[in-house]
Amino acid sequence: MEKEAAIIGYAQTPYEADSNCSRELLVLQATRAALEAAGLKREDLDTIVTANNDYLDGRTISNMRLVEPAGSWRKNESKVEMDGAFALLYALTRILSGDHDIALVVAESQASVYGGILPGIMMLDPTFDRQRWLLNEVSGAALQASAYMDASGVSEEQIAGVAAKNLDNAAGNPLALRSLPGADAAKVMASRPLYSPIRDLMMAPLCDGACALVLASGKAAAKAEKPVWIKGVGFAHDSYLTERPLESMNSLKLAAGSCYAQAGIEDAASQIDLAEVHERFAHEELMSYEALGFCGPLQGGAFFDSGATRMDGKLPVNASGGAMGANVDCGAGLARVIEAAMQVRGDAGKHQAKGVKTALAHGQTGICAQENIVYVLGGE
Amino acid sequence: MARNEVAVVGVGLSKHVSKRRDVNMAELVWEAVSACYEDAGLKPRDIDAFATGNMPAFEGVNVPEEWGAGHWGAYGKPVLRITTGGTTGGSVAHGGYYLVGSGLYDTVMTIAFEKQSDGNSTMGLNTVALADAAAQLQLGVDPAFIAAFGGGAVGVAVYQASSYMKSSGCTTHHLDKVAALCRNNAALNPCSHLKQPGLTPEEVAKTTLLQYPIRFGHVCPATDGACAMLFTTGEKARKLTSKPAYVLSVASCSDEAALVGIAGSGTTNVDPCEQESCKLAAARAYELAGISDPRGEIDLAEPYSPFAHQMLMFYERLLLCDEGEAPSILDSGSMNLDGELPVCPSGGVISTNAIGASAMERIAECAMQIMGKCGERQVKKEVHKAVAHGWGGAVNLNVVAVLSDTPRR
Amino acid sequence: MGAKAAKDPVPRVSIPLNPVFGWTVGNWMENFFDGMKEGKILGSRCPDCGRVFLPPRMICERCFAKADEWVELPATGTVQACTEAAVKVAENGDMVDLENPEIIAMVKHDGADTCITARLEGADASIGMRVEAVLNPGAENVLDLLAAYRPMG
Ligand SMILES: [Zn+2]
Repeated sequence: MEKEAAIIGYAQTPYEADSNCSRELLVLQATRAALEAAGLKREDLDTIVTANNDYLDGRTISNMRLVEPAGSWRKNESKVEMDGAFALLYALTRILSGDHDIALVVAESQASVYGGILPGIMMLDPTFDRQRWLLNEVSGAALQASAYMDASGVSEEQIAGVAAKNLDNAAGNPLALRSLPGADAAKVMASRPLYSPIRDLMMAPLCDGACALVLASGKAAAKAEKPVWIKGVGFAHDSYLTERPLESMNSLKLAAGSCYAQAGIEDAASQIDLAEVHERFAHEELMSYEALGFCGPLQGGAFFDSGATRMDGKLPVNASGGAMGANVDCGAGLARVIEAAMQVRGDAGKHQAKGVKTALAHGQTGICAQENIVYVLGGE
Repeated sequence: MARNEVAVVGVGLSKHVSKRRDVNMAELVWEAVSACYEDAGLKPRDIDAFATGNMPAFEGVNVPEEWGAGHWGAYGKPVLRITTGGTTGGSVAHGGYYLVGSGLYDTVMTIAFEKQSDGNSTMGLNTVALADAAAQLQLGVDPAFIAAFGGGAVGVAVYQASSYMKSSGCTTHHLDKVAALCRNNAALNPCSHLKQPGLTPEEVAKTTLLQYPIRFGHVCPATDGACAMLFTTGEKARKLTSKPAYVLSVASCSDEAALVGIAGSGTTNVDPCEQESCKLAAARAYELAGISDPRGEIDLAEPYSPFAHQMLMFYERLLLCDEGEAPSILDSGSMNLDGELPVCPSGGVISTNAIGASAMERIAECAMQIMGKCGERQVKKEVHKAVAHGWGGAVNLNVVAVLSDTPRR
Repeated sequence: MGAKAAKDPVPRVSIPLNPVFGWTVGNWMENFFDGMKEGKILGSRCPDCGRVFLPPRMICERCFAKADEWVELPATGTVQACTEAAVKVAENGDMVDLENPEIIAMVKHDGADTCITARLEGADASIGMRVEAVLNPGAENVLDLLAAYRPMG
């Protein structure tokens, strides 16, 4: 895609274990701040896509009371019940269709109001797995990690190392919920065991928060300051978790393939300057290196060990701390897009990486990262 | 980016009945999906993306396509989940329009469904109000009062109906006539749920009064069912079929949620029969479609009407006549299958309500009427342009689509 | 970012969302449960690609064909993935520590192409380990028909 749609403003609320305010207030804060950042008013919005989930919000049609805080009163509005990164795709198609020029995407959830990992359990096959009460997002991720470790030879220490890297990076991100400056693998390995090999510090912390992004058509973005262009997007859905090989992220690979084709990326490792991946569990980041083509199949551990994905490496991954710093259900993927856009603009402050011209952002939904979406973003 | 023309090339519906015990949710949806592939002459490999939705709280399954989409041919493809309550099916179909219109995906299948018998729909609807009920409890409102006027759809509808009757002159006899008209149309539709051939307004008037003015005969059934549609570019559509149904435009409009008042009676700001958001959405959709005179140019309407009065109310809000005129237009016979502007030829939501699917089925009916695929219920006049509508949320969300036998511009 | 929300405690009301659902499992899963009542493990096979689904699926997602061939599968299989659970999920969604950790395994039965997730008896598990299903044909609850797996030999 060549200058057809650009991110022209964004905002994130602080991520907190308990925001101690209503979700409507979180959405209002994020929306207002994103509009302000884009230099726009509510009246300028043509269309609004919210990302939220009835189970996370504990109510049917959870978007309907977000009409006022999301600025969609008497406007064209819809809801994507997935991560906000997918809602962004819907907003993008609304703009590319030519019917709309300016879109707002806003994502929210509050882990403090829903039952931990229960909404994930409700995603399971209701005719069997759901009722057996063994699988959930964490045990599913653990099973995936075991299959990946067996296939690739990656060790628990390497997985812990990824978590430590991101928790250390999160120290530079003022919005992060959790950070551990100077963290190392040993510290992560000493945290509470959940489902082996997953330990508490290898699991991205669920929390409260909202984030919002303003997307503009090429025409509308021409007037904006420092637009960040969407160069490509790819999206794919994988099989249910018991029906696919768990040791690779096939749908992420498919998504990256179509995204790279649009963005003209032939060699991801050299053409992409920085990536923000949505790693809900630390091993997923290693698997994503492979699926995104940063390294060969089953080479994720070695690629990590090379230091390439550290803050000072040739392809920093999750300079913001990633989801390890804060993982708002429905929001963490959109937050990756926002963080990648910040890096392209050079606006990331203490966690700014050097020389970021082309950045990749990834979002996911579903157990064992069943659905994946990838964006490539660039400046001029 | 050249915007794609968007056309419907296939429609598929499952059987619609109150309880399907032979299939699970994913398998029920497969029936609609496979009928849709067959209708369009396409296979899963021809599809570039999927959009899907239902009302998840009803069946108690979160993001049901995680285990279900394999049954629909979606393996390895994008599957975008769009859910907006009663409007879900319409919102999903709008997703199909945008995904194709964007140029990112050429051929898109949209899927909407509800398997109400798996869950507890009144519970689902009441959770609409639960969070508000919580707020009211904090304010000291008597819990018994909240329970008696709970947020279920009937609660919303009675206030809306009486308000509409007062402003329009619509009588309970008109409600009976709407129900009889729709159920007779439904009898001609193989995929409808409540088929009552020969039903008369007098018989409807004898059904149990639920809450004035709404009788049992004025209310939709709870249905298990699914709907699938195939959207593709104008260019591809013309290769696939001699008569595609073009989607000229879609528009949605979200108003203030009216739950703040009691049982959706509305706040001082919102009268539930006003439906300003429907008028705005309709006006925008006609504008995008290049329709300056909807009354003269629209040949057929499928308003979303789970309750009898809504067929008339939304006929007005879709700008097809002046406010207060719909009851007399009904009396004139214009809304019948052989009338000047047939309304709800499918039998409407009042005859079949698989909630998540219902708003898509309105668009599907318009497409099928344009394509001439409606068999016994095919309307007498030739359909060039049709308008499909969906309604939901807390009486605050409206979606409108305009379809045509000729492409935009 | 604008001013942070005021930190006065927000009034909260707890609303449990636990309605009773009655999922239809469909004819394919019903056949599976009926088979186990007779001690048989029944999978469905895709006539196009030959993949065998266990638990059975009505539709093969790769071919979009009706997997309407039935095959009886042995109780034996191989561990594809496993985890030692130090916790379990309580009804409120919290992960609470288990007194005795347990093994959860994803098992592919011999002749099947998809997996069943269940408990694995014993303290040790590894990928590639040979296991057999512990069937309970007399169980009242269909979910207990396949109670667990145990290591072979
Ligand atoms: Zn097959």
